[in-house]
Amino acid sequence: MSKVTPTRKRAEAVRRSGYRDVRFRLLTWLASMGVVAIFAGVMAALGIGAWPAIKAFGFPFLYTEIWNPVTDQFGALASIYGTLVTSLIAMVIAVPVGIGIAIFLTEICPRPLRRSIGIAIELLAGIPSIIYGIWGLFVFAPWFQSGLQPWLIDLFSNVPVLQDYLGGAPYGIGIFTAALILSVMVLPFISAVTRDVFETVPTTLKEAAYAMGCTTSEVVWRVTLPFARTGVVGGAMLALGRALGETMAVTFVIGNAHHIQTSLFAPGTTISATIANEFTEAVGPLYLSSLIEMGLILFFITFVVLASAQLMLGALERRAGGLSS
Amino acid sequence: MKNMRLYRRRRRGNAVFLTLSVLAAGFGLLWLGLILTSLFYRGFSGLTPATFTEMTPPPGVEGGLLNAIVGSLIMNGLAVLAGTPLGLLAGTYLAEYGRYTRLAFVVRFVNDILLSAPSIVTGLFIYEIIVVKMQSFSAIAGAASLMVIVVPVVVRTTENMLLLVPNGLREAAAALGAPRSAIIRAVTWRAARAGIVTGVLLAIARISGETAPLLFTALNNQFWSTNLYQPMANLPVVIFQFAMSPYEGWHHLAWAGALLITVTVLGLSIIARILESSKRN
Amino acid sequence: MEGRDKVKIDVKNLSFFYGGTQALKDITLPIYDRKVTAFIGPSGCGKSTLLRVLNRIYELYPNQRAEGEVRLDGEDILHSKQDTNLLRARVGMVFQKPTPFPMTIYDNIAFGIKLYERIPRSELDGRIEHALQRAALWGEVKDKLRESGLSLSGGQQQRLCIARTVATKPEVILLDEPASALDPISTAKIEELIDELVKDYTIAIVTHNMQQASRTSDYTAFMYLGELIEFGNTEKVFTAPTNKRTEQYITGRFG
Repeated sequence: MSKVTPTRKRAEAVRRSGYRDVRFRLLTWLASMGVVAIFAGVMAALGIGAWPAIKAFGFPFLYTEIWNPVTDQFGALASIYGTLVTSLIAMVIAVPVGIGIAIFLTEICPRPLRRSIGIAIELLAGIPSIIYGIWGLFVFAPWFQSGLQPWLIDLFSNVPVLQDYLGGAPYGIGIFTAALILSVMVLPFISAVTRDVFETVPTTLKEAAYAMGCTTSEVVWRVTLPFARTGVVGGAMLALGRALGETMAVTFVIGNAHHIQTSLFAPGTTISATIANEFTEAVGPLYLSSLIEMGLILFFITFVVLASAQLMLGALERRAGGLSS
Repeated sequence: MKNMRLYRRRRRGNAVFLTLSVLAAGFGLLWLGLILTSLFYRGFSGLTPATFTEMTPPPGVEGGLLNAIVGSLIMNGLAVLAGTPLGLLAGTYLAEYGRYTRLAFVVRFVNDILLSAPSIVTGLFIYEIIVVKMQSFSAIAGAASLMVIVVPVVVRTTENMLLLVPNGLREAAAALGAPRSAIIRAVTWRAARAGIVTGVLLAIARISGETAPLLFTALNNQFWSTNLYQPMANLPVVIFQFAMSPYEGWHHLAWAGALLITVTVLGLSIIARILESSKRN
Repeated sequence: MEGRDKVKIDVKNLSFFYGGTQALKDITLPIYDRKVTAFIGPSGCGKSTLLRVLNRIYELYPNQRAEGEVRLDGEDILHSKQDTNLLRARVGMVFQKPTPFPMTIYDNIAFGIKLYERIPRSELDGRIEHALQRAALWGEVKDKLRESGLSLSGGQQQRLCIARTVATKPEVILLDEPASALDPISTAKIEELIDELVKDYTIAIVTHNMQQASRTSDYTAFMYLGELIEFGNTEKVFTAPTNKRTEQYITGRFG
């Protein structure tokens, strides 16, 4: 029979490995505290950096349009407006299209093509934002300016309301162009999340609907979408968070103008575009501080949006977990 | 009797619906095609051997991107070297030690916010804590701002991959009397290795095109420099500055740089995907 | 016979809780040294839970707790300050699904040995060969020790796991339905292995297979809804059960 190792010798080994165990555990704990520290550091650094501007301008910073480095007068309204409007238009385009792509991939696409088309759409998410920017500036904007834009302006020139929003001179670049490019950038986020939640819909549920004679569109509208609603909204919020903070794709094509114009074809700016364009050239502590305060505002907005996305998708994950077990 | 008129209307509705979703997919693919086509066309026409051997030129002079390529490699390398261990350990804490704790919930939440937070904002953070303190833009600051992007990506994938490791494997190792740290290092990390490597590759892909945080951390440098305490040239910022300039020659180099970045990023994503699917089989 | 056998593990008034649900109710029974004790009962009866208390593997998860006493060689393992890792090195366990680690066959076994011993390479090689021989696997794998443990068949993987456990020189081996995921031939091999191993080790086996219990074990415990209904000499439990439920279960009338 095999001899049993003396317990004493083993106890020694346990003591040795015990120290290593505690040390390793501590190390992983410290690393995760590092993540929290980065987050806290971002907030603290922005708060401290923004303090001079907060003190100087107070609340009106949020709703003042003036942006004058010469007189040291700063207000974030034009940037906040641009950020919200570009993201909003981007979502109006990307949400239905993104959901459409997800429906196409899960319900319509022939199986052999499903994988490759899915990958192609995901590649859109892999292309760095600066590529969208340079492409938008050199390829899309000139084409838009000479082709589609004059036609659109002409088309709506006699329509009340719309003539104000889609009028003016065709610059090529501007709020609308930025929004369009943003929508393409966030498209894959929406379609990927939507596709994932569509796949959590129990097959039996869909089969039951088909068995009653439902068409594909009825199954999607009545069964799949209601079932996946939370996830789709969560995915859209995630995409919105991305759109709000996106810098390079926007900076290239928005025109960098610090006043609000009614026309969506007019140049404008966003928080991130303003920071990217002006930060290294900002002279004077108040100018710099105002830019950092805008960063703080952006961080706050995206935090709220992303946190709600997290909570929605988290609730979904729990439900999916409950279903599978 | 069945109402055939109603049925025909439902069929028509269905046809419209299906057409719309095909169009949606077409819309996405069209943009991908347009962007890649002009990128490859203009990128290749801007690409010359000099791109890899000469420095970024002043306006009107021929040149290349060598200093920017090397600068990007240095800063990306530093960011990954520093960010991977941190992310790996933190992800390990979330999946192994803290899995059910309130603390892990908080860390997970914060990490997911950082994952999608605007990179320009995290760049401002590094500006405040490094550039201001050192009173100079520097490669160190650039690498740090990229590291802030690497960490949450690695944390997320590490946690996800470790959660995929069946508990039975952990139990089996524990049943041999293995302490937790030995179980993690010898068994669960190993079982999740392909997935974790995938995560690191995706993190590299993510930072390769990252521009915004570099604008006010590494800034740019027209000359060859490997001094980590000095501003350092890098592809994204060079592309930004050259593209926004009025000079034709700079535009060509910007396109060549854009092509290099895209090929790198897409290549990394494809390798990551292959690794992931080979792991699944 | 019962009187002569030495008690290795003494379970007294053991209760177990998953959060608020009680999974074991006041279990008291002995596990005899170098004998096979089989735990049978319908699924959910608590037999696997009981096994998981004996090496405190349940402690890997929150909200699970045990009350009562489990004495290993007289020492209460539930309440003593004794290190759980050390306990698990003394009380090994093999699981229902084979769990080869994602490393070579050689390293799978070396992993457990190296946890508690620093031995020269040649001795390690010998220990690994010996363990594989004990698990009746040596002949099948001796030429591919450097291949992944995952490359083996299900039955081979399970014997690898047994070899891994044997190699750490435990005193007790817990087998949690070790053959339920295997084909009949592999099952027969595992059963032969149990007959062989019991000469040196105390074995506790959970099984839902009545024939397996009667073939391999010396003692049998029948459990139902978290309670121990009947415990005794296997022959007696199977031929003349004292409890009505036991009889119904072993004759296949429920479960």
